[in-house]
Amino acid sequence: MRNSRVKVNGLFFVLISVFFYSGLSAEEPLIPNPEDTTKICIPRPPTNVLATDAVYDKGNVVNLNWVPSPDDNGDGKILQYQILRRLENDSVFALIDSVIAGTAFYKDETVESGQTYQYMVVAICDGGSGPSEPSPPVTPDMEWLNFALSNIFVIGLLICGSVIYFIGKAKSGRPLFIRKIAGLEAVDEAIGRATEMGRPILYVPGIQDMDDVQTIAGLTILGRVARVVADYDTKIKVPVSRSLVMTASRETLKAAYMAAGRPDAFNENMAQYITDEQFGYVAAVDGMIIRERPATTFFLGAFFAESLILAETGNSIGAIQIGGTANPAQLPFFVAACDFTLIGEELFAASAYLSGEPRQLGSLKGQDVGKALAMIAIVLGAITTTIGQAWNFEFISAIADLLNSLFRTN
Amino acid sequence: MEQQIGLWVGAFLTMGIISFLYKDNPWYKLTEAIFVGISAGYWFVALFWDNIVGKFWIGVFDRGDYYLLVGAVLGLLMLMRLAPKIGWISRWPLSFVVGAISGFYLLNYFSSNVMLQVQSTIMPLFSPQFNDPLFTSSAGNIISNLFIAGGTFTGLVYFFFSKEHKGAFGGAAKIGIWVIMITFGASFGYTVMSRMSLLIGRMYFIFGEWLNLIG
Amino acid sequence: MRRQVPLIITFFIGALLVISVFIPPMVSLKETFTLYFDIIAVFAFFLGGGNLLRVHLGKLYGKKQDWGFSLVTVAGFAMMLIVGLFKIGNPGGIAASITAEGSLFQKLFEYIMVPLGSTMYALLAFFVASASYRAFRAKNREATILLIGAFIILLGRTPFGMMLTSWIPEQLSILQIPNLAIWIMNGPNLAGQRAIMIGIGLGVVSMSIRILLGIERSYLGEDK
Repeated sequence: MRNSRVKVNGLFFVLISVFFYSGLSAEEPLIPNPEDTTKICIPRPPTNVLATDAVYDKGNVVNLNWVPSPDDNGDGKILQYQILRRLENDSVFALIDSVIAGTAFYKDETVESGQTYQYMVVAICDGGSGPSEPSPPVTPDMEWLNFALSNIFVIGLLICGSVIYFIGKAKSGRPLFIRKIAGLEAVDEAIGRATEMGRPILYVPGIQDMDDVQTIAGLTILGRVARVVADYDTKIKVPVSRSLVMTASRETLKAAYMAAGRPDAFNENMAQYITDEQFGYVAAVDGMIIRERPATTFFLGAFFAESLILAETGNSIGAIQIGGTANPAQLPFFVAACDFTLIGEELFAASAYLSGEPRQLGSLKGQDVGKALAMIAIVLGAITTTIGQAWNFEFISAIADLLNSLFRTN
Repeated sequence: MEQQIGLWVGAFLTMGIISFLYKDNPWYKLTEAIFVGISAGYWFVALFWDNIVGKFWIGVFDRGDYYLLVGAVLGLLMLMRLAPKIGWISRWPLSFVVGAISGFYLLNYFSSNVMLQVQSTIMPLFSPQFNDPLFTSSAGNIISNLFIAGGTFTGLVYFFFSKEHKGAFGGAAKIGIWVIMITFGASFGYTVMSRMSLLIGRMYFIFGEWLNLIG
Repeated sequence: MRRQVPLIITFFIGALLVISVFIPPMVSLKETFTLYFDIIAVFAFFLGGGNLLRVHLGKLYGKKQDWGFSLVTVAGFAMMLIVGLFKIGNPGGIAASITAEGSLFQKLFEYIMVPLGSTMYALLAFFVASASYRAFRAKNREATILLIGAFIILLGRTPFGMMLTSWIPEQLSILQIPNLAIWIMNGPNLAGQRAIMIGIGLGVVSMSIRILLGIERSYLGEDK
């Protein structure tokens, strides 16, 4: 409530100031005697207010820049700047927002494409205000293509193109070499162990919903694991913390059992919803691990602090554990507590690797092209920036600049 | 009074969870059952009011954002799973979600993980000028820069799938995994301290707030 | 129809989102789809919550082992739904926020969920200790390197690390543990993080392409 009253008072002063503004010149000091400011405060206004249409947008953004009031020097005299706007044909400016003192930029995201606007910025102090001159008019416009992202488009196309190229090449039947990945080579063995021991397998596809790409990776691997599980006729449990993941897990499991020719062995309750709550879920899964003593556990997906609780509990019952996530902060805990860890990229490559299908393996070759590209850029970049700067070779500096701009993201 | 009950309930549940460290027991099972039931209900209620009422209902009926109806249709299709004969329709919203997430993250991860990290690694290895006094005194800096560029490079070699880790390539991959292990070690060491403070916090709750043994 | 439609939806929606990044009028598509996702997620909860009830009621009716705990779960779940959906015990009535100060829903959260969640989180201290112990018995060279890294960072964050190496002369101050810890964080640690992140980025690109092209469809059911 109090804030709104301040705003109304502020607006009142703005209007009064605007009313008197016409008779004053901008250069003329508004405070004749600085010592007298305790009685009434009239700040000098911000200057050079410039409104520009933001590029590569829907035409709904105008960027506003100004030179702050000379009285805005951090001593707290200026309280805020009020942003006023009018349509070109309107006679009055209306308050649209305010920003704290010391600011010289405002992004107006409430404009309409094709309309012409003018802005004023008003410095506010306790009891007075200093309005700027109106900005030159600006007409925000919509652009159809974002050329600022053309480098992402080019490099993205190159890498996506190479993935697609190798998928196509693999389809033609030429054998592709993919090195062995220890963590994935161990999958069969881990499932076999559970079968021999007559104990279940626990599969946790992370604790995030389907809107996390790691969950999707976790489910694609579940498809491959479940296929082998169905073949071996082992029990599998997939406790999940999101309803949508439960649905997707069931779909995945069902498909795997069908593909293995064992639709009869599939049971919806293999995937069970626990709770959305992170630690509530962990409490239940921990209990499950201790009570059902799975021989093998898979933790593949998005994990946070619970990674270590789950993996250590699994470790305490002597399960073979395969962990993997793309959250770098959790990887050390999987490394410490699991037998095999899929590090970042390996998590996303796992399903393709396990499928053994040429097209899927082809895509792994494609992403290697991306890695080679990154490695070349890093080496070339380090050499050219170093030489370019140390010996002032313009040509080499130009190569360094080119590389820099190729990989820039903003 | 109410706060007193809350304190006792909190202490009872806290110790129920801690008792799991000794072994699985009825106290823990009870605590777990309470946690699961209460939290599942909590999240459904929270999501219902936030998403169905806050985003959908108010969006459609107060603001006239009729495009949100598409979301509801997809949601209803999801429920078709309950009807065995047309259960397969629930794959449609599922494929919508998977398609949207894959499409969105494809470029998102590409720009924030690949482009940005490569660009940050394009840097001079040592001070610009040889006569710069910094040049001679910043051996640590040079080594650090060499480590960043070389470490990132060899780390990527480790992730290479299409070549066997043998010979010089294998050597580089080996260095790569060492660099990655140092990273993991750093992260591990960094986290240990903060986890200890969590435990201290819970101990304070038991011995300070509940039992009043700590002033 | 059953097989093709989902694949077409995945491809069409995914491709639309990829393209939308480069076309400013389409940029807000991402927010729209996020809203759809939020709505779908609540509908899906009817399936998840239904599953929770079915599992626990099944145990209850069958008088299976530990059925008493299932009763507690069902009771807790039902209580939260009734209190939250009908805003029982909410001083502001049905129009108020569910988390309004003094509401029963908020109290249940505060007195039950908060201590449970934070204690579960605090268990990490014990698990970190047992994991560190295991790491101590470093089985191979990689584990040893991890351990050394962890040890330096850990010591570097305590006064003990300073005490231990304060005798090292100023010229070699880089070898003092706190400085070494800073150097590891800014040097090798950064390199490892970057390599992992670049790898993840490429992994996501490749997996997304496989999904959009319908090559990876294990989540939808393989049709062989």
